Amino acid sequence: MYEDQSTAADAVPVVAIGDLRKSYGGLEVLKGINLEARQGEVISVLGSSGSGKSTMLRCINMLEIPSSGSVSIGGEAIRLRQRGSGMEIADRRQLSHLRSQIGMVFQSFNLWSHMTVLENVIEAPIHVHRHPRAECIEEAKELLARVGLADKHGHYPSHLSGGQQQRAAIARALAQRPRVLLFDEPTSALDPELVGEVLRVMRSLAEEGRTMLVVTHEMAFARDVSSRVIFLHQGCIEEQGAPGEVFTTPQSARLRQFLSTNRDAMVVS
Amino acid sequence: MIDFGFMWEALKILIAGLPLTLNLAAASILAGGLFGLLITIFAQTGGRPAMVIANGYVFVFRGSPLLVQIFLIYYGLGQFRAELQSIGLWQFVREPYWCAVLALSLNTAAYSSEIFRGAFQSVAAQQVEAARASGMSGPLLFRRIIFPIALRNALPAYGNEIILMIKATALASIITLMEVTGLASKLIAETFRAVEVFVVAGGIYLALNFVLTSILSWVEHRLTPHLRPRPDPLPAKDKPLHV
Repeated sequence: MYEDQSTAADAVPVVAIGDLRKSYGGLEVLKGINLEARQGEVISVLGSSGSGKSTMLRCINMLEIPSSGSVSIGGEAIRLRQRGSGMEIADRRQLSHLRSQIGMVFQSFNLWSHMTVLENVIEAPIHVHRHPRAECIEEAKELLARVGLADKHGHYPSHLSGGQQQRAAIARALAQRPRVLLFDEPTSALDPELVGEVLRVMRSLAEEGRTMLVVTHEMAFARDVSSRVIFLHQGCIEEQGAPGEVFTTPQSARLRQFLSTNRDAMVVS
Repeated sequence: MIDFGFMWEALKILIAGLPLTLNLAAASILAGGLFGLLITIFAQTGGRPAMVIANGYVFVFRGSPLLVQIFLIYYGLGQFRAELQSIGLWQFVREPYWCAVLALSLNTAAYSSEIFRGAFQSVAAQQVEAARASGMSGPLLFRRIIFPIALRNALPAYGNEIILMIKATALASIITLMEVTGLASKLIAETFRAVEVFVVAGGIYLALNFVLTSILSWVEHRLTPHLRPRPDPLPAKDKPLHV
């Protein structure tokens, strides 16, 4: 189900972002981000609200079109072309193809309301990847069992709790057999007592070597699970490194301040 | 005194007009619904000029009486007989049936396109975004995500429109069509018993719309299980929990 990449492929970053900039009118939200995520890396992206972390994540699969810069998935650059002062998609077919290799988990789950949990999970495998239906259902059931929703196949998203919906959304993303998983504040819309069940699933994904980029406010998760932590401040990567270094010996004053105001969140695991 | 025997006879006469009523309604709802959908897609995807044209269309056909539209098409198009003959449309336009279908279709298309516009606009951007993120785009995205959600949004209002159209077919009697209302007018002219005949005619429409309403609520029920309470609810407050 999960394909091992050869050592040669390890040399190519799964996601590579080069000099990424994004402006809304006169407001520059991202000011030149460079980032590479290698196979099996779990990168937590921290930063206060407005630092541009969600925008950066959404630029990876072009839900936001960057103003300039480049994004490559598995070594293949997403084709963009100049348009006015910004850019636009040059090859929609290529983009759809690359998007189908990127699993995304949203803050507010974004499950398709008119489909059952199982239908949500098999939708992209059947209609985008064109895998046989029976095979997709089989795999979807395994994934749902894995996220602890084995008994919820026939339920509609509106009949589930927030934590269950987010776990279903993770199963939906996994069903794409993605090369990389993007998490956009996956626990921010959840009641505190439901956060743990989602983090547990994410932790198990990290342990099996998935490549993940996680925008989060869960400091304990970032500290314990990620292989690298990125701290964004006002559209720039202010500091990055292994969680041990970043959390114990932060170099920049901004990060020290950010960590001290978020210390409470460290306790929750 | 109300003469029930006569009403029974009237019912037998008027019911003969039911197939034409249904035919007019079905043809115009089908053609008008499709045309309305095209207008919506045209307006949403064609940029500013398309939007202006579509808005103009809706303004004209929604803003003027259906009866006036029927008259304009039935009497008005006769003025352009030569031109219509040259493009081969005269044989349709000279038939009252096609005039009625045309007027009803153009009219319902205006209302339908507004219903569809609202339905498409209320498809949550987040659900579309999730679909795009999974690699869907273009027709696939429309067919699998946008249209099914929009359809469910449109259903209550569009059901209304269907019922209005059933009743609007009665206006076709003005241009000599012998559907239920046409037959009723004729029967009244012969018998001078307006009350009985119109009560029977109204009853036929009422029965028709009762069946239609039932079908519509069944369809809506089937399509929106996610809006119903969850199938395994917690025990209600009035039922004690058995421990």
